[in-house]
Amino acid sequence: MISFGIYAVLNITLVILAAPLYLSLIKKVKARIQRRRGPPLLQPYYTLCKLLKKEVVYSSTSSWIMRFAPSLNLACMLTATLFVPLVAVPAAFGGFGNIILFLYLLALAKFFMALGGLDAGSTFGGMGSSREMSISSIIEPVAIIVFAALAFVFHSMNFFEIFAMVSQTPLTQLNPSLLLMAISLFIVLITETARIPVDNPETHLELTMIHEAMLLEQSGRTLAMYELSAAIKQLLLMAILINIFMPGGILLQLTVSGVLIAVALFFLKSVALAIFIGIFESYFAKLRLFRLPSFLLIAFFLSLLIILLEVLA
Amino acid sequence: MDILGVLLGTGILFFCIPGVLGLLLAKKSVKVVPFLCLSLMITGSLLLLFFSGSVLWSGEVSHSSITMVWFEIPLFIDRLAAFFILCITIISIGVLIYSFGYLKHIPSALKRNFLVALMSFFILSMIFVVASEQMLSFLFFWEIMALASFFLVMFNYEEDDTKKAGLFYLVMTQLSTLFLLAAFLMIYNETGSLTITAWTGFTNPTILFLFLLLGFGTKAGVIPFHKWLPYAHPASPSPVSALMSGIMIKVALYGLLRFILLLPSQPLWWGLVILVLGTISALLGVIYALKEHDIKCLLAYHSIENIGIILIGIGLYLVFLFYGFEELAWVSFAAALFHTLNHALFKSLLFMSAGSVVTATQTKNIDKMGGLIKRMPFTAVFFLIGAVSIAGLPPFNGFVSEFMLFSVFFQSNVIASPIIKVILFLCLSLFAMTSTLAVACFVKVFGTVFLAHPRSSEAAEAKEASFSMAIGQAVLAFFCIVLGVFSFQIFGIVAQKTGVAIVLPDLLGFSIILGVLVIALFLAVRFLNPKNVRISETWGCGISSQNATMEYTASGFSEPIITIFSSIYRTKKTNQRTFHDEFGAVFKEGYAEITLLKFFEKYLYMPIVRVIQSISSVLYNLQNEVELDRDILFGFLTIVILLVIVGVAV
Repeated sequence: MISFGIYAVLNITLVILAAPLYLSLIKKVKARIQRRRGPPLLQPYYTLCKLLKKEVVYSSTSSWIMRFAPSLNLACMLTATLFVPLVAVPAAFGGFGNIILFLYLLALAKFFMALGGLDAGSTFGGMGSSREMSISSIIEPVAIIVFAALAFVFHSMNFFEIFAMVSQTPLTQLNPSLLLMAISLFIVLITETARIPVDNPETHLELTMIHEAMLLEQSGRTLAMYELSAAIKQLLLMAILINIFMPGGILLQLTVSGVLIAVALFFLKSVALAIFIGIFESYFAKLRLFRLPSFLLIAFFLSLLIILLEVLA
Repeated sequence: MDILGVLLGTGILFFCIPGVLGLLLAKKSVKVVPFLCLSLMITGSLLLLFFSGSVLWSGEVSHSSITMVWFEIPLFIDRLAAFFILCITIISIGVLIYSFGYLKHIPSALKRNFLVALMSFFILSMIFVVASEQMLSFLFFWEIMALASFFLVMFNYEEDDTKKAGLFYLVMTQLSTLFLLAAFLMIYNETGSLTITAWTGFTNPTILFLFLLLGFGTKAGVIPFHKWLPYAHPASPSPVSALMSGIMIKVALYGLLRFILLLPSQPLWWGLVILVLGTISALLGVIYALKEHDIKCLLAYHSIENIGIILIGIGLYLVFLFYGFEELAWVSFAAALFHTLNHALFKSLLFMSAGSVVTATQTKNIDKMGGLIKRMPFTAVFFLIGAVSIAGLPPFNGFVSEFMLFSVFFQSNVIASPIIKVILFLCLSLFAMTSTLAVACFVKVFGTVFLAHPRSSEAAEAKEASFSMAIGQAVLAFFCIVLGVFSFQIFGIVAQKTGVAIVLPDLLGFSIILGVLVIALFLAVRFLNPKNVRISETWGCGISSQNATMEYTASGFSEPIITIFSSIYRTKKTNQRTFHDEFGAVFKEGYAEITLLKFFEKYLYMPIVRVIQSISSVLYNLQNEVELDRDILFGFLTIVILLVIVGVAV
């Protein structure tokens, strides 16, 4: 088994380096579909560097919550990185890899992000927080159900074990209900990363935005931290999807050549997924806020179906 | 007498003295008296804490008796009872320390003395209920508990709301006693013994179970018997709300657990009923809380939610026990008990912080607070710790017990029966929804109370609570953190002592990594390039300055969720217009409002009240119409009926 320390360094480095790339990749795909050229692929890195240099402006109304929330958010995402192996499954270590702990870690980050949105006392921040929490109060139960279905299928609550199990099972013997689960998990991914049709990450029309409205008061390096954590969150959720539904190539033993091949494979798969997300986004319009519950319930019912299948099988 | 007995006896004595002292010197405005009483009670709590801790540690059942005036009360304290005594004493210590500061806000000496005396009776009666070996003493102290808490609810008796709340509470709590009395009589009838012990051979445990469930459920605030909580908690003084919500409703759960476990067999449907009731309480509790603006009322609804979560644990325990999965059953049982302690801790903490806020701002309406994080920084931190705990976020204690329940649910496919699996699964989805809605609700509460601009002049001039109030909260906040971060280690000890191993993620390593990252990042943002920071007005849509009327209110915040769940809220829209002309074209005046239907009150409570009222009015008429021949007729009929009954019985 791979020791946890090596895994931690490998995983965190990979995630931090690669995460921003997928933001621009999706943008690029969307731009291409709209016959535009789109931003350069390295744009998010430039943006992050720029933001790090810029001045931070705190609202005079805001308190320490505003200053604390971005750090906590990024710290949560970095810790969450240890839960989802990208290319190599480590030996079990403490509570890491636990599905529920992972979900609640994301919830902790969101809790403080929403408080940060309310802190400055501006209407937009409050609106963003309110909407974000409303949506998350529907999508998080769905996520829990999806993961419960996962636990039902694999008889495990740990990403490390599940990933290892998937990679050791031949493709033909995998449970077909995984396909249904992939759809549910994809909807969770779309919602949690604030993408169309749930939210629009690009709009700056105040009344239609949710996630971005919450961050409106952030500037400079605190904004950079939020952007980076959003990118990390997206990559982690993508990695879950990839390592369960597009298995193969994940390492159980550490070799230098193995790591290189695994990284290359993961890169290919994640680029494919990002392109798919881009295409998916292009073919949908943003839904009205109160139409969202029905969209999110699709994910819920699909995972319910999986569990019923498992129950009755 | 052994050392434990001495601890127990002295502990109880230390509670009796303040009770008597407080009542005897009630009219004296000697400032020292209440504070002396509080110190005695804190010492007593510490002694009892050591006592219950050592019973828990050794697992030896403590069997003793206490002689009070002329009658002897046998006590029986095993691990279950000791655990609840532990909960009671920990919370009492926090709340009593808090009361030092809180008393200073009460102008009347009489009221101060009464508060202290009643609190001592209240806490003591709860300890005795838990420790009772006889049903008679259980019921006796149950009533003392009910009466003491009733007087405490009526503390601000001058206010109209309080009168209504007090009456509501009294009726509900007596209803619960009535069911318990019936249940105890049934037990006595069947077994011929008043001792609370493992009974054998019940012919019909179904009705007994229902009576116990109704009796204890009413006191615990299980939906649909929950209505007294949102009335009684806002009315009573904050330390009392903390005690009532933190531990009194748990004592009812202790009763339920104790009696159900002692019955010879527990059929499957008992577990399912408790599970379903728990799920409904949990979900509806949090959904009603989202709508609430009165901070203490909101916390009361969260108590209902958390009682629901504990009941889910008990229900799962019974279900898994029935199917013979002892390991999972014990995890659910441990989850229920651990959540009992956790909820007691964070709910009492939240009630105390809320009490500080209410004392400082003179209002319970959260839409009139705001910006208190600057004026009450310590209270804000304690409230935040409580909020993170109650929202079930890692690494605090609320997360651990909810995690245990989730892990049991996730393994529920070991049960063979498909229908049970489906029921468990539905409960899981609703439970998952509960815990995420609680997160949203506490973002709302913390955001509106502590962040942004103050929404009223009182909130703008609020002062931080006194030192002892902060210490009281700090004690409980400390336990909230420790029980979460060290949960793995604590359950390791539990596994050693009881042989019940519970699989938990080790939160210590997790918390260290998370903590180090947070601190490193925070310091980096704070101290790297500090000149690049400006504090200024951020963009406000071109309006010259932001003010309180423009910010999001609590109602605005929860509006989307309420719209999504509008079918549950049963809102009623009224739209009334008057027009100048008969065509309905020129509008003169009108109003529109959206009111929340008080569903349970309207469709469950009031019909019962109306039935009772109509029966009593008929009886009243019969008694008051003085007609001799009719009275003789009734007397005659009664005698005939009695004779027939006696004849049939013989």
